[in-house]
Amino acid sequence: MITKTEITAATLAAAFALLAVPVSAEDMGGPKAGKEKCYGVAMKGQNDCAAGAGTTCAGTSKVDYDGTAWKYVPKGTCETMKTPNGMGSLKPSKS
Amino acid sequence: MRVSPLPLSAGASFKPEHFAAISTAPQPLGFFEVHAENYMGGGGTPHAQLRFLREHYALSVHGVGLNIGSREPLDRAHLARLKELCDRYQPECFSEHLAWSSHAGIFFNDLLPLPYTEQNLISVIDHIDEAQTALRRRLLLENPATYLRFKQSTIPETEFLAAIARATGCGLLLDVNNVFVSARNHATSASAYLEAFPLDLVGEIHLAGHFETTDGQGSPLCIDAHGSPVVEDVFALFDSVIARAGPLPTLIEWDNDLPDWPVLRAEALAAQVRLDRARLVRAAQAAA
Amino acid sequence: MQTWESDFARAVRSPDWAVPHGVTSYNSDTPQQRFAIYRNNVMVGLVSALEARFPATRKIAGEDFFKGAAKLFAATQPPGSPLMMFYGDEFPAFLADFEPAREVPYLADVARLEAARTRACHAADAKTLTPAALSGGLPDALAGMGFILHPSVEIVASDYPIVTIWAMNSGEIDLAPITDWRGEDALVSRPGFDVAVRRLPPGAKTFLQGLGTGTALGSAAQAAFAENPGFDLVANLAALFASLAIEITNEPFKVPLP
Repeated sequence: MITKTEITAATLAAAFALLAVPVSAEDMGGPKAGKEKCYGVAMKGQNDCAAGAGTTCAGTSKVDYDGTAWKYVPKGTCETMKTPNGMGSLKPSKS
Repeated sequence: MRVSPLPLSAGASFKPEHFAAISTAPQPLGFFEVHAENYMGGGGTPHAQLRFLREHYALSVHGVGLNIGSREPLDRAHLARLKELCDRYQPECFSEHLAWSSHAGIFFNDLLPLPYTEQNLISVIDHIDEAQTALRRRLLLENPATYLRFKQSTIPETEFLAAIARATGCGLLLDVNNVFVSARNHATSASAYLEAFPLDLVGEIHLAGHFETTDGQGSPLCIDAHGSPVVEDVFALFDSVIARAGPLPTLIEWDNDLPDWPVLRAEALAAQVRLDRARLVRAAQAAA
Repeated sequence: MQTWESDFARAVRSPDWAVPHGVTSYNSDTPQQRFAIYRNNVMVGLVSALEARFPATRKIAGEDFFKGAAKLFAATQPPGSPLMMFYGDEFPAFLADFEPAREVPYLADVARLEAARTRACHAADAKTLTPAALSGGLPDALAGMGFILHPSVEIVASDYPIVTIWAMNSGEIDLAPITDWRGEDALVSRPGFDVAVRRLPPGAKTFLQGLGTGTALGSAAQAAFAENPGFDLVANLAALFASLAIEITNEPFKVPLP
């Protein structure tokens, strides 16, 4: 069992020496997004000078400004992503 | 003396979605234009792409957030960001809008209209003086697309723009689609507007698509959506402008419902054909 | 002071709106529908910015729920800066306090991860270190060395498996049952052009946060071991040199040779 008192200069030097053998950053575990490529994938620019949305009703509903008149239910990805509360349920388990 | 050093040819809005297509082969376009605010991060892909454009093409930086039309003081921090961007990329052209977009610390993310009054004229002139001094460059100011007007306006828009340009030395960006859209929305004549427009101060032209709907009274209403091809009526107005003024740097803007790059490029090349034709006609007239 | 501008600004943002003072059109003294164009442009523009920045959060919550929450956020916390790419830094905190989102307790943490991704995307460029930067350094000096992490590096800690949930809802991995339901700490970084999201192994958060706040390598490693005996020093050093650190502080080379 390693304890913190064992972190000495020698431990660090030994660990560092192991880096001579290439260790992939993938070893940090978990999924890694995208592959390195020239220029990458840019996020869409957010500022523009067009006005396409003007004919929607987006700004005219008072309900949109009123948290107490909330009418939506979060969908969750419960159909396919199993949570501790089981498939299809996102509510905390009451049992 | 040219108002802007952009080439007298057609260019296109740059969108990151088109970068792969644009960067694989040389494009037969004179310049690209970007929105300044999208390049105000520290680094990463946006700046790498802008560096590529800068290396291969003439560049126009088009601001949408300087709030020139507001009565509030300019945002010094934003002006400093614009200066940093212009210093970094040395674009051939920097332009902004005759509009406002921030008030009392809130940014509206839209180009809002202002009344054309003596007071607002003085305020806009002060703002442009301040911006040109800070940026150490000439700015081009764009005519807006509007959906309504103000009772208190006393100065026609063309006179308002001309007075600003005379007082500040700034140039003008003539958005021909905005002229069409506003004229339709106010039941006025786009041709008469262009007759009154000081074309000798124009450093760049914008062309874009709009869509037409109706207002609460059932009258035609045009929305400046930048999500479709330029309509023939707007191209015809463009022809009349370049017949009078000669070829000018001409940008096709496309912001919504972005098509594949070849479609936008073809639209820009259609504008190029019209520029070439105007050049030939003028040469023939000069020779006659 | 009431001006045409403050009047217009208030009307553009309020649902119980009247056409602001002075606004007119050739065919109406109160052109409500025309004025609504500006109101709708403002609201849709802000909601679109949030939709673009939080796609996985949106997928989890559903389009209608997300749009409703985004509208409420935009109405109560509009942007203060014209840099729309950074709009929504406070959206995760809004979701965390948002009663209707309680049913999806991990939603706010996924949003925090997505907000960090955008910041990483636009962070300043910097060249990362390689182990070669240390070749010739004295082993004794390693423990005293500090590092400056890449400007894009952020750690998003969660009581929920947010890296897995994010990956499943952003197309990185297929949607599947999550059988091992436990907290995950996300490491967000962008050493080159692409933003990487990784699940941090045990102890790594303490190690990196220590380095990020100026703690020397030896002390940061000790703290990580103290917290979790399973801390893998080699893997963490590898990651540090592969993509996370850009500069060494307390240069070992300045230590005088005996």
